[in-house]
Amino acid sequence: MFQLIRPDTQFDFVGKRHIWVSISGLAILATVVLFFTKGLNYGIDFTGGAEVQLKVPAAWDIGKVRSELDNAGLKGLRVQQIGEPSAHEFLVKAQGDESSLNRVSSQIDGALAKLLQPKEYEIQRVDVVGPAAGSSLRISGFLSMFYALLCILVYVTIRFDYRYSPGAVIALFHDTVITLGVFILTQKQFDLQILAALLALIGYSNNDTIIVYDRVRETVQNHPEMKIRDAVNRAINETLARTILTSMTTFLTVFALWALGGKVIQDFAFTLMVGLIVGSYSSIFVASALVVWITEYQAKRAAKMAASPQAKNRKNSPGAMRAQPKLQS
Amino acid sequence: MTRSWWSKLLLLVFFTGLSCVYVYPTIANLDLATTKFPFKQKINLGLDLQGGLYMVLGADFNKVFKEVVTRDSASLQDRAKEKGIELTSVKTITEGLPADDPHIAVEFNPAKRDELYNLIKNEFWRFRLADEKPGRFEVGIARDYRVEVRERTINQSIEVIRNRIDEFGVAEPSIASQGTDRLVVELPGVREIDRAKDLIGRTAKLEFKIVNDKAMAPAQVAELVAEIEKTNNLSYKEGQKFSEYVKKVNDFAKGKIPEGNEISFERTKNAAGQETSRIPYLLFSKTEVTGDELSDASVQFDQENRRPYVAFSLKPRGATQFEKLTGDHIQERLAIVLDNIVHSAPVIQTRIGGGHGQITLGRGDGDEVMKEAKDLAIVLRAGALPAQLEFLEQRVVGPSLGQDSINKGAFAAFIGAIAVFIFIAFYYRGSGLIAAFSLLLNVLFVLAILVGLEATLTLPGIAGIALTVGIAVDSNVVIYERIREELRLGKKAHGAIEAGFQKAFRTILDANVTNAAAAIVLLMYGTGPIKGFAVTMLIGIVTTLFTAVFVCRLIFDAYLRRMELKGQESISI
Repeated sequence: MFQLIRPDTQFDFVGKRHIWVSISGLAILATVVLFFTKGLNYGIDFTGGAEVQLKVPAAWDIGKVRSELDNAGLKGLRVQQIGEPSAHEFLVKAQGDESSLNRVSSQIDGALAKLLQPKEYEIQRVDVVGPAAGSSLRISGFLSMFYALLCILVYVTIRFDYRYSPGAVIALFHDTVITLGVFILTQKQFDLQILAALLALIGYSNNDTIIVYDRVRETVQNHPEMKIRDAVNRAINETLARTILTSMTTFLTVFALWALGGKVIQDFAFTLMVGLIVGSYSSIFVASALVVWITEYQAKRAAKMAASPQAKNRKNSPGAMRAQPKLQS
Repeated sequence: MTRSWWSKLLLLVFFTGLSCVYVYPTIANLDLATTKFPFKQKINLGLDLQGGLYMVLGADFNKVFKEVVTRDSASLQDRAKEKGIELTSVKTITEGLPADDPHIAVEFNPAKRDELYNLIKNEFWRFRLADEKPGRFEVGIARDYRVEVRERTINQSIEVIRNRIDEFGVAEPSIASQGTDRLVVELPGVREIDRAKDLIGRTAKLEFKIVNDKAMAPAQVAELVAEIEKTNNLSYKEGQKFSEYVKKVNDFAKGKIPEGNEISFERTKNAAGQETSRIPYLLFSKTEVTGDELSDASVQFDQENRRPYVAFSLKPRGATQFEKLTGDHIQERLAIVLDNIVHSAPVIQTRIGGGHGQITLGRGDGDEVMKEAKDLAIVLRAGALPAQLEFLEQRVVGPSLGQDSINKGAFAAFIGAIAVFIFIAFYYRGSGLIAAFSLLLNVLFVLAILVGLEATLTLPGIAGIALTVGIAVDSNVVIYERIREELRLGKKAHGAIEAGFQKAFRTILDANVTNAAAAIVLLMYGTGPIKGFAVTMLIGIVTTLFTAVFVCRLIFDAYLRRMELKGQESISI
């Protein structure tokens, strides 16, 4: 039998939870700071603008296109080479109002047609997003993330317990925020595709968390005498092989997409790669630590209540029923 | 083996065979037109893979509402007059109001207040009373009617654009509404990008206006425009907004042309789309009949003269308007104005009653006249766009980039899947092979369902399939790790497998349902390629549940049976 993790492995994940949570907290804080200082490099999907990808002959001076466009009433005109230098592919980016943006592609086409033979160049891709469309895409994009998180919160609450759901959602929030942080750091363009990748990540990373939670729930049921922190620790260790294996296989496929899938999909795959690592980490270190905290806090409160004079009246309330003594620390 | 095992196997073989049939035309890249293969359907490639045009258009409702208010205020005036209610003033006001909620201010004799109130209440359900002062009502568009106008406008626009695209023969276009005021137009495989854009870009508004030849002869109008251009140093250059030029010309012409008149232009363009001539017209600003009163237009051929002409018919209300209009203006010219550009200005020969008329075309060589007739018919038939549309988003992917994406994407997904197969077979040995086989089936099923649902495969969709493989392994891993645990607890192979599958199922279900929740949100909010990703993810989740639980179990049962027959106790996991 080939094993990555020996079955009797007993890492003390929960015992060091303060360290892990502090690291995560710092990472989130850093992202927030970066978000307000450096900011996300929004793509035209969210800001509005035009992007034209074109291919020209070898050793041809792209500056000619630039000078043709200089007096077209566009702002923020940028021409950059993309992909392999041998491919001679360029990306022309511009900002402007709706009417000037609408003309960008025909202007570039016109400029190229004037300077080159039709077979020598190719306009490979044109993306034009009006300013109004950009802002509405941004709003609906972030809304969709919010709804995805909400759905998961509701599902976890129904399927598990209210003690588990905050951990699951905070873990997802953690993954999304830190992945965004990496995007701010690398200043990669944040566009609709990346948003889709983040949403896919929310689903995937939650999958990871659920599997750990499921085992925690099972352990708690089977060993009522166990302290919650021991139960969580045991569950994490038992599922550790699986967590690592699955992350590895998924990472393999995403890595293949990143390395071989072509530049259109490269950033998409990059997001998934980063998210996979952060997501696996959060399932082990963050989500479960939160379950321990919430359960212990609850048990403490229940104990306090039991000691107080009104305990008798409260005993029949649902809150008191939920706090099972066996979960006490 | 038990009977139930055999029937399950039969089911699996059936699904697998069916999937192969579905996927074969795509994999073998059959030419659907000529192939003898009975199943004639291929996977739909998204715009990002086959190249094509994606655009989002927004309708300008502010203008539509203003028009609705103005039109209805005229009929309110008429009805009030018939009822003997004196209205001292009826005005459309927009100042200080939201742009999409213009009002009509009606001033009247305060003694007749209740009568007018009842009239509006009973006959003008489209209005709501927005404000009242003694002797003055302010009415706006009622909420229900606003919704109706929006819906009608969007639907009509979809019809019109579809009609127009059909005229030019774009294969499998998709035009759909998005939200309350947007249209999404997708033209897959369109190679002549600029032509298609131009085609949709011409989404325009059709109006009929009378040419005021009595006030100024055509030559005088041309002189006036030339003079305006000269004295104000005004000229029009290619690439500028033509409407701005027209507006400036009209601003400068104020005072030189009669009140309630405007200057509009007819433009002819050569094959390259460059302007060859520009003819000014002096028109009465009032729109006599709008394009939505037209019901049909078509090119007919006059056998006697051997010339084409355009026959058109009108809806009942339009027919009445048209009869009155043509009767009042015999021998005058009627300008057909599309998007504020004069398209043609035929002379009204007779009163046109009964809602049917025809337009004969000027002299010229046969082909040219035929083309002109066709264009005019398209303008009349499809040009009845009630609202102006503006481009909000345009995305074009060239066919070569699309091909490049599909090659690289498919290759990467293939390599990724192979890597996973090898890894899993290495890690779990015999059982790993079972998992790899079930993964292979998984991919086959995903593709077959994509074909069956006529869903669209996009580049993120390919990524979704790759990711499905990665995630599907998870279900296998969960099950296998469980089986290993049960074996460690000392269970026999049979018992361990039984318990492993049973205990893992709940976990797998929970994990996949939450994954599906995220995918559904993506499906609802995503556009274009992203939707493709969500679709493959969702399909992948379903097939994963099927293959990891049902298919694997089936094979494991056969495997166990073999072991038992051989008298072996352990399994390779």
